[in-house]
Amino acid sequence: MTAEVQPVARPPFDAELRAGLAVVGGMFPPTITPDLIDFMRVSYAAPPIEDLLLAKGIVCTDDVVVAPDGHEVAVSVLRPKDAPGERPGVVYAHSGGLMFGDRFSGIDLVLDWVSDFGAVLVTVEYRLAPEHPHPYPFDDMYAALEAAASRAGDWGLRRDRLVVAGASAGGGLAAGLALAARDRNGPVLRGQVLDYPMLDDRGSTASTHQFDGIGVWDRVSNETGWTALLGDARGTEAVSEYAAPARARDLSGLPPAFIDVGAAEIFRDEAIAYADGIWRAGGDAELHVWSGAFHACDIFAAHTSVGRAMIRARNDWVERIIAD
Amino acid sequence: MQELLGRIARLDPSASLGLRVIACFDELMVGNVNTRALLAAAASLAGCVAGFHSETPARTVRIDPRGHHAADVRPEVDPAFQQDASDGLTVWLERNGERQPNDAIVLERLALAVRMRHGRGRESDHRRDLSLLLDPEVDVQARCVSAITLGLRPGTRYRVVCAPLFAVWPEHPQGPEDVVATRFGAIHALVLPASAHEVAAVPSGVGVATEVEDLHHSFRTALVALRLCDPPAVGSVLADDFGGLIGLLADAPDGSFQPDVALVDAVMAYPWGAETLSSVVRSHSLRQAAREAGVHHSTMQSRLETVNATLGFDPFEGYGRTRLGTAYLVWRLRHSRVLDLPAPIATP
Repeated sequence: MTAEVQPVARPPFDAELRAGLAVVGGMFPPTITPDLIDFMRVSYAAPPIEDLLLAKGIVCTDDVVVAPDGHEVAVSVLRPKDAPGERPGVVYAHSGGLMFGDRFSGIDLVLDWVSDFGAVLVTVEYRLAPEHPHPYPFDDMYAALEAAASRAGDWGLRRDRLVVAGASAGGGLAAGLALAARDRNGPVLRGQVLDYPMLDDRGSTASTHQFDGIGVWDRVSNETGWTALLGDARGTEAVSEYAAPARARDLSGLPPAFIDVGAAEIFRDEAIAYADGIWRAGGDAELHVWSGAFHACDIFAAHTSVGRAMIRARNDWVERIIAD
Repeated sequence: MQELLGRIARLDPSASLGLRVIACFDELMVGNVNTRALLAAAASLAGCVAGFHSETPARTVRIDPRGHHAADVRPEVDPAFQQDASDGLTVWLERNGERQPNDAIVLERLALAVRMRHGRGRESDHRRDLSLLLDPEVDVQARCVSAITLGLRPGTRYRVVCAPLFAVWPEHPQGPEDVVATRFGAIHALVLPASAHEVAAVPSGVGVATEVEDLHHSFRTALVALRLCDPPAVGSVLADDFGGLIGLLADAPDGSFQPDVALVDAVMAYPWGAETLSSVVRSHSLRQAAREAGVHHSTMQSRLETVNATLGFDPFEGYGRTRLGTAYLVWRLRHSRVLDLPAPIATP
């Protein structure tokens, strides 16, 4: 033990993004402890999106899919209003640390795929922890993926062009879906989009410890989220790889992956390791590590140079995979 | 970000969004970002296209809230949404309809940032009066000019109150206020008369009373007081409660070598450590400390034996009291999380 305090060495935030944090911090504090979950459920609830859908020429249809325990999971099917017939499909898992958010949280960025590439987006109201720990959120998402394949005709989807996508906690769920679809001979996927994904419950990477108390989603927030999902099992060998895909021993045979992450966020190292694991197993992954970027900065500060670059790179990849 | 400001306002109707807009542009100016980035921030905050025009070289830039160049033709701009940013530079917001609450502050800060970026008068200090007044490096004459500009009277005593931008203000006292850059990020500083001993804001620190030329010292003590807060138990701290000690703490370098703090750290490792030290520093005897902590005096006695052995001195004897009190405050400052966490807000 030393009497001197060593400052933590960490990569800096981009100047525009630092400015963005002056606003973001008011509704999304860096450190989320269990007593802040209720605050976050109010703060992170998506605003009404009717006007946005109207402006983008998107039609929204609500439906339900049935989870293994009989629970009816709400989904919204979003499609371009002037694109009849069967379209490429995206099954989407929203962000919110597994504890808050709803199926329209952070949806703006994904709507580009509907308006620009003619995709049909299925976004899922998966149940949230801690009230619904693993496997509920994952099972709800998998039920939606199976429905997308089995009811492709009803929803106007092309079964041969399905993609899973998710951001943050949703990125972890999307990675889990791709693993499970492979293991269970489930729907064939053309790609997986993992935006700054939450993959590893062990909290042992260097980047996990570099950003205490700053930015968006620090080590304590992450412990809050994983504990909500896994309870006492967090960090033990009992954790399923569908809950924490970083634990997967076999990363072969997965669909092409797009992975992006900030250099200045706690998920940096686990995102890099996941891409690396896919390459080592002979798979296809594209990895972007954005300098100066805090977690989910493209959602909170899409107007910034870094935010725009992230969105452009991701959309280019998605276009390659799904566009006609 | 306009939508985020709306959320903050709904979560906390007392929140000062203007301060957040100012802090946002302060960071952009410190970061020395380009015109497009400044316009993108303004457009994102306002929720409409933000524009810039310079006469020489002739150049117009219009950026939408997603940070892209606006594709349409430049509309007629209402003069009410236009601001001269100095010789030959103009900025504006392409607002259709009603003026929004933050439009004026967004335009004002955008104009200032554009002026700096384009090198108009970059030699001088562009900080605002309150930042100058609270900076001991600034010449005392210049500080007095700033004080008078802010409506403060030389020869009168005032206090500086410090709070983070997310502080909750049930009532907001009137006085010169602004966002001031510190090594803890943007801090909301407010100058009040010396008689203002208490502020309702949580969390907040109230500095010692000084005359205008020493308000930089009041500011430093307010910042220490703020960092000693521990909401919800301790929402606001008054620097006066610690007398001259808080001045020493304010002027001590952050990472200075403090062996006694390491000893406090060792005591804090015990499950009963924090509660015990907090009652010992507020007591004059073992019995009183036991009462403060709500434990039996024999329990306190055995804890104190461990404390004495760990510290190597008796906290109730001579300088031991001073050593523990000082080390305890430094320990609290080094472990302060008050600037990381939002004040919990009751959900509807």
